[in-house]
Amino acid sequence: MNEHLANVLFASTAAAYVAAFVLFLRFLVRGKGNVGKVGPRLMAFAAVLHATHICVASLLLRVCPVGGIHFPMSVATMLMAVAYVVAGKRWRVEVAGAFIAPLALTSLMASRFVGGGAEPGDGVKSLLLPLHVTLNLFGVALFGLAFSAAALYLVQERFVKAKRIDGMSRRLPPLDALDRAEHRFLLAGFPLLTFGILTGTVWARRVEMGGTSEILRAVFGYVTWLVIAGVLFLRAAAGWRGRRAAYGTIAGFGFSVVVLLIYLLRKDAPRDVVTGNRASSDDAYGPRGHVVSSTVRP
Amino acid sequence: MSLPVVVIGVSHKTAPLDVRERFAAGAETLPEVLARLMAKPELEEAMFLSTCNRVEVIGLSKVGKTLEDSTRLAGRAIREALRDHVGASSVEALGSWVYEKSGDDAVRHIFRVAASLDSMVLGEPQILGQVKFAYDAAVAAGALRNHLARCVHRAFTVAKRVRSETQLGAGIVSISSVAVDLATRIFGDLAGRTVLLVGAGEMAEQAAKSLGKNAQAIRVCNRSFERAAILAATFGGTAAPLDKLEAELVASDVVVASTSSKTFVITRDLMKRVMKQRKGKTLFLIDIAVPRNVEPDVHNLDNVYVYNVDDLEQEVRENMKARQGELAAAEVIVAAELEAWTAWARGLNVNPTVIALRARTRGVLVSELERSLGGRLKHLTEGDRAALAQMVESATNKLLHAPTTRLKLAASSSDAGDLVDALHHLFDLPKPAEEPGESERDSRSSIKNEDPTGDESDDSHDKRLAH
Repeated sequence: MNEHLANVLFASTAAAYVAAFVLFLRFLVRGKGNVGKVGPRLMAFAAVLHATHICVASLLLRVCPVGGIHFPMSVATMLMAVAYVVAGKRWRVEVAGAFIAPLALTSLMASRFVGGGAEPGDGVKSLLLPLHVTLNLFGVALFGLAFSAAALYLVQERFVKAKRIDGMSRRLPPLDALDRAEHRFLLAGFPLLTFGILTGTVWARRVEMGGTSEILRAVFGYVTWLVIAGVLFLRAAAGWRGRRAAYGTIAGFGFSVVVLLIYLLRKDAPRDVVTGNRASSDDAYGPRGHVVSSTVRP
Repeated sequence: MSLPVVVIGVSHKTAPLDVRERFAAGAETLPEVLARLMAKPELEEAMFLSTCNRVEVIGLSKVGKTLEDSTRLAGRAIREALRDHVGASSVEALGSWVYEKSGDDAVRHIFRVAASLDSMVLGEPQILGQVKFAYDAAVAAGALRNHLARCVHRAFTVAKRVRSETQLGAGIVSISSVAVDLATRIFGDLAGRTVLLVGAGEMAEQAAKSLGKNAQAIRVCNRSFERAAILAATFGGTAAPLDKLEAELVASDVVVASTSSKTFVITRDLMKRVMKQRKGKTLFLIDIAVPRNVEPDVHNLDNVYVYNVDDLEQEVRENMKARQGELAAAEVIVAAELEAWTAWARGLNVNPTVIALRARTRGVLVSELERSLGGRLKHLTEGDRAALAQMVESATNKLLHAPTTRLKLAASSSDAGDLVDALHHLFDLPKPAEEPGESERDSRSSIKNEDPTGDESDDSHDKRLAH
């Protein structure tokens, strides 16, 4: 029954994100639909389903979603959807849902189907881990929103510079709103990323940084921090706004996604260790949500 | 063709902005341009209309052998004047941007322009003021005196009818309101934004009305500080002289440039300095001046967006689609007015014949009367002589009333050439071309108050001419 519920929630969440994406796409391309009202509501519905799915799946797995690395991308994009619902209308970037919905859908799928994943070893298990993961996931979620605003800014800016101001340009948020939203999301996400980096650094000192993926993860983590810090600093000091800031934001988000992908795809921890740690005899779920003895996946 | 009216010019429909601005003439250069036009012997009257969307010379040719001949010569003369005005090497070098209309087509065009049916923003009210300005300038320069002045004045009436009898001007999307729409595309809304008007003319005032509703502050920067202060006071803003432009740009978010400067007021170098001081904050410039005030390359700077009058056309097209129904109603008014005008103007063509016929009839009767008064009627008193002179006058009027009326009626509905030829042949009347000066002047003055289409407008027309 629980497996069935998890699967239903997974499918419902995916369907809600698909529906939201179609709604946004239809609005942007054809100018149809009331995205201002329906879009955020549909995304809110999808986020609730997504959160429920994560809760149910993590209960089934008997793991904390942020206590390990089981659901990193899934949780990050769920948070992204939540942040979008909270801030999208206030900052007039409702159309950013056109990016958030497919991002959330992709990560939902990725968390279920992609990579081997790994449970942290005993050496790294500590109170720092959930804090580190939570901060980073919130940070990535906000950078995802900043990325969406930056991408929309570049599209709108292209229209305005080319003086093609009918059609899609009319349906996109104003340039200044996008630029400000992007900056605010970055400002909100940067302290979280900084704390994430700090806890990660402390954590990394306690373990042996032997694996390639760990080194890469650390390097890309620091690069992400440096890029975002650079974007914020140059904006304040040298007036890097608009297009330049947008490119920097997209690059920063890109590096943070690389870090998540390294988590998701690393294979240096054996799968059976993970499954052996928590799966009970009557529970077919693997620790990342993989079902070892069943065809059902969360 | 009723009158040899010629219109030659460039407009937003035929020429891009960089071409139109070469033809443009500001208020200070208008007298010189009009003097150049009036120096052409082929032109009887002329007017120079220069707006941000069009530059046109409207001319009335002197009477030639035929109307077609007259308009051809006048057209050539206007093109030569335009060639000198823009500094082109030849008339042909003016290029394919230039359009030409003559006769009734030209008059229809004048009516449509004044009624804002040919404007970029359909139904916008500024064009009528601009035509009136051109009219006043031409009258002041002595370039508009009679028939063409009446024609342009008639266009004012057409414009008023279109505005009052159709909904063309209702809820009008003006250049200024389009600019506001564009500004919101960039800034979302204008709350908390500062609008800078560079130039303090009518267009700046219109822009201030639209932009000032929502903006936090309005600044006016103008060559004449006094004028800037007056406009700024109207909208509760602040004024600055033009040499403070850089500081004003740094403090503003939306800039509307509408000076009559022949050179760029806002250059790329200036804007680079400004953007450095603004730390990259977005700046939106709307250049509604012709010639342009903002160097086009400024648009390529980061976070700077420059839109000129041509760029606004796209926005305006959508506005036009919604007004097609009103446009049809307005065109009906123009057609009716043109018909009435044409009927009246055609009547002018038979006027020399009417006058010649009248002179011939009266001349014969007076001559016979004087011969009798010198002979058998020598004994008549002064009173009797005056009574006889009055009788001759009355007889002339009664005798010629029917033929005059029928001739004018024939002329108003069609070409009365056969009747005119017959009268000249039967009564041995002199051909107009044989004595153009006196008879033409007489005919034009004699019909001055006979305009069947402009009953109520004659007085104001004459007052305007007198002014």
